[in-house]
Amino acid sequence: MSLDLIRVIGQIVDFAASLKTRERERKSKLDFALKTLKSSAAEFDGLRQKVERSKTTWLVAGPRERIDLCQPAPPCPEDFIVLASDGSHIDADHHQSAHCFLINIGMAHLQYGRNPDAQLFSFPSLYFKDDEVVITSADGRQTPIEGQLLGVKRSVEECRLLAERAGELKADLPLVALLDGSLILWGLAGQTYPDFVVTELLVNGFLNYFDKLKELSRSRQFAVASYISFSRSTEVVNLLRLAICPHQPVDCDRYCPGKFEGRECDVVGGLLDRDLFARLLDPGERSAIFSSRSSVLVKYYGGHEVNFFYIRLDGEVARVEIPLWVAEDEDLVELVHATVVDQCQRGLGYPVALSEAHEQAVVTGADREQFWALVEQVLAEDRIYLESSAKRWSKRTRWT
Amino acid sequence: MEPRKKIAEVVETSSAEFTAQCYKLDGAPPLGSLVKTKNEPFEIYGVVYNVETHSLDPGRRVVARGENMKTEGEIFRANPQLARLLRTDFKVLVVGYGQGDSLYHYLPQKPAPIHGFVYTCQLEEVRAFTRSLDFLSLLVDARLPISVDEVAAACLRHASEAHPDPQVFLIKAGKELACMLSSDAKRLNSLLKRIR
Repeated sequence: MSLDLIRVIGQIVDFAASLKTRERERKSKLDFALKTLKSSAAEFDGLRQKVERSKTTWLVAGPRERIDLCQPAPPCPEDFIVLASDGSHIDADHHQSAHCFLINIGMAHLQYGRNPDAQLFSFPSLYFKDDEVVITSADGRQTPIEGQLLGVKRSVEECRLLAERAGELKADLPLVALLDGSLILWGLAGQTYPDFVVTELLVNGFLNYFDKLKELSRSRQFAVASYISFSRSTEVVNLLRLAICPHQPVDCDRYCPGKFEGRECDVVGGLLDRDLFARLLDPGERSAIFSSRSSVLVKYYGGHEVNFFYIRLDGEVARVEIPLWVAEDEDLVELVHATVVDQCQRGLGYPVALSEAHEQAVVTGADREQFWALVEQVLAEDRIYLESSAKRWSKRTRWT
Repeated sequence: MEPRKKIAEVVETSSAEFTAQCYKLDGAPPLGSLVKTKNEPFEIYGVVYNVETHSLDPGRRVVARGENMKTEGEIFRANPQLARLLRTDFKVLVVGYGQGDSLYHYLPQKPAPIHGFVYTCQLEEVRAFTRSLDFLSLLVDARLPISVDEVAAACLRHASEAHPDPQVFLIKAGKELACMLSSDAKRLNSLLKRIR
């Protein structure tokens, strides 16, 4: 039975009315937030100290520059390269006895300037060996790579191929390597995975490839950044909560235990960082650079500690994340800023290199079906017959 | 002797026609020109009857990009990925084949092979193949999605340049067409106007 839209339409009308009311509240909150941003910008050192001493229940951005900074985009170099990778995957099918998964990484290599060139690749890999589909600790404990963990594995692979490809290029032109989504592997950070899983994927995987990327920056003008479209982050808004808080030092558990509304800082509650910078920045401008203070960064990232800024583009405010070694190099920050603005102009609102990498990586529903059919066919040719669950059969065969 | 150029590859094939994908964007030979491919022991000849440039991925539409650019070339320099995402295909009507030293102006036993390389024909080859106009019936009787007469006229104009006296060749072709289309004076007239 398909969705009964007639029964939903009244609820959609209510939803629209509620959005309208919320929008009015949001506007007045935003006015206040901007005023707070500008007034606290002048007390940069005081704000930094306040952040250092605070104990908050939410993630607060660490200011690295004057927080009301609006930096116009510098020009792009005459010749430069943008490299981007993105991935998709087909997760293991629990309704089938053959345990395997597939990761497809797409890459785009775009060169601009006097010798424009483009190369687009995809690297599909099937993982099926015992040591590929599970992570095993030294004492024999095992965690299967599936679901959210497969998403993390995919991010590691995106980074690995980006580092490999960047290392193969001639070092004569400025190069920006772009990833899609956050540099913080939230899939690992937000969960309670055993240490050996975090070590394998983050320390020996993602951060190991970041070491290689950092190494490259010694021999050429090279920056790595990630682009987050429509980010729902609130770290800068949370910084304003801190600026508003009347308690010294800020300590949420001590002064506002168990309170989730009615606190002084709730006057900016519900706002997103992108709302704030959509009002503050002009098209092409970037915000100040902030450092992210997530506990996973403090514990593992070291010199790759994630910093970020926002960029106002024609269609949206995007969040750009960079490792510390990029954030500390003014030329590299300028290179990333200029390149991201330029990429979005060329890509009709979204970085063209990322969008082409995505096109190379994307696995459609039809691809998935064909992939499993191919697996079954090849195994059947080798006279290997798989058990399949009744649920899987029922989903594939619709009947009345 | 002009060099033989490998320009495309067969991506769809049947006994009467094939589609070739160009190695270079906009690298298709002119409408009506003679091209060939091999399916050993045959060399299969065909006439280009349609050229099309489109997005490689049928799900992705080409969008206009040049509002703020002075030339069309600038669009490709600023968006180098376009050359990888767009493809030029051309369709070829098979009009005969060669085996050893002999040429035959009817369909070969085997179609053009999939992934067969497609070459432009040298002037000598065009001259040799069009010395006999028997292939014209395959062309004139074909059912194509574009006007057959436009393709036939373009083919004859193109072939005439390979003969020592193009005018003599076109008069001979006109006479052949007059025999074939004796019952359709209107069509004949319109075709003759196009090869004058």
